[in-house]
Amino acid sequence: MSTPIIEINDLTRRYGKLDAVNGLHLAVRPGRCYGFFGRNGAGKTTTIKCLLNLLRPTAGTVRVFGLDPVKQEVAVKSRLAYVPDTIAFYPWMTVRDTLNYLASFRQHWNRQTEAELLNRFDLDPAQKVNALSKGQRTQVALIGAIAPEPDLLILDEPTSGLDPIVRREFIQTVIGAYQGGDAERRTVFVSTHLISEFEGLIDEFTIIEKGRNLLTLESDVARERFRKIQVRFAKDPPPLDLAGALHVRRDGRELELLVNGNFDRLLERLRAHSPEALRAESLSLEELFLVSNLLPRS
Amino acid sequence: MLFQVNFKSGKPVYLQLVDQVRHAAASGSLQPHEPLPSIRPLAEQLRVNRNTVAKAYTELESQGVIETVPGKGCFLKPNESPLKRAERERLLVKEIDEAVVAAHHLRVDGDTFVELVKERLEFFERKVEAGAAASTQSSGGQA
Repeated sequence: MSTPIIEINDLTRRYGKLDAVNGLHLAVRPGRCYGFFGRNGAGKTTTIKCLLNLLRPTAGTVRVFGLDPVKQEVAVKSRLAYVPDTIAFYPWMTVRDTLNYLASFRQHWNRQTEAELLNRFDLDPAQKVNALSKGQRTQVALIGAIAPEPDLLILDEPTSGLDPIVRREFIQTVIGAYQGGDAERRTVFVSTHLISEFEGLIDEFTIIEKGRNLLTLESDVARERFRKIQVRFAKDPPPLDLAGALHVRRDGRELELLVNGNFDRLLERLRAHSPEALRAESLSLEELFLVSNLLPRS
Repeated sequence: MLFQVNFKSGKPVYLQLVDQVRHAAASGSLQPHEPLPSIRPLAEQLRVNRNTVAKAYTELESQGVIETVPGKGCFLKPNESPLKRAERERLLVKEIDEAVVAAHHLRVDGDTFVELVKERLEFFERKVEAGAAASTQSSGGQA
């Protein structure tokens, strides 16, 4: 098997007495789009800063392209691009100056992609960056991240605070312009809590809570395993063996079950009681994130 | 053809795309030799990973439903299943069994089930005829 693009082992990062990240593990394979979900303060940005050598781990190891970002910072950073949630440019520069400045740090810069995206986002290269809206600044940052065609694109809450149209365009650009080159070799690592928008893009994800892994799964597997069943009986619900249900909510003759695996067996058992109505659907990744507090702690 | 994906169906997204192409082919809304959308615009439009669309097309190709012409894209193949008749029927029986089990649980009796199957067969046949008529008309118009 090929070297993971990102490999984090037992990462701990302390701020004073606070453990922001506490024994985190994850591995991102090449060509994947990996989601990194967690509530505010769960340790997402701290982890990303460790990948970029903006912070040093207190303990544990972090490898990017198999390299140590502390010791081989240039080798790591020349192959990746990063879009943070708050974007700061030099205010006196124009859009053109800013992109030239970003390009000056890169060995490779795709001028054609840059021109196409400026056009797509309807950005005026002569405009001063301090006159841009938040959405437009994000668009410039995205162009700056995609034009060098890096092997790894790290996105930290890239779409928070943007309007829905800009968010949609952002994601389509990641799919079209970034994955467009050689999707097999282009890895995306995205931290977000606007999960539903990235749902179709994400192959695999980790939910982190209080600096620890809560759940790591492939998206398809997650959607197969986690389901919601709504069932209505003609009379009061019969006594049921609901072992395997993550959560049960009852309202009169109706039951709502959250299931983690064992879906078919539970469905079979419910059907045996001839319910009046039975509906089952998968949890979307966002819904799964919302109920992840019900999951057993590892 | 127009695709849609549903993340709550429990079926992997690439298989949803596979099913939709097979359905379109069976109902005639996608005709033999007609092109499928290319991967990049389709992925962008559905906002799914490009690899997901690529995986769906690879699966359809290995099932013999579509063929890839290098540099031109993917096209629906004329329906010549490479499998032997017995094998094809065996595959179909599996699908039928699932429907029979579902009918049992939904308390749909055998006669009604058979009626429904006939009705659906006619529905698809009508669609194919309508599609064929439409394409003759349009090609006639071009000539």
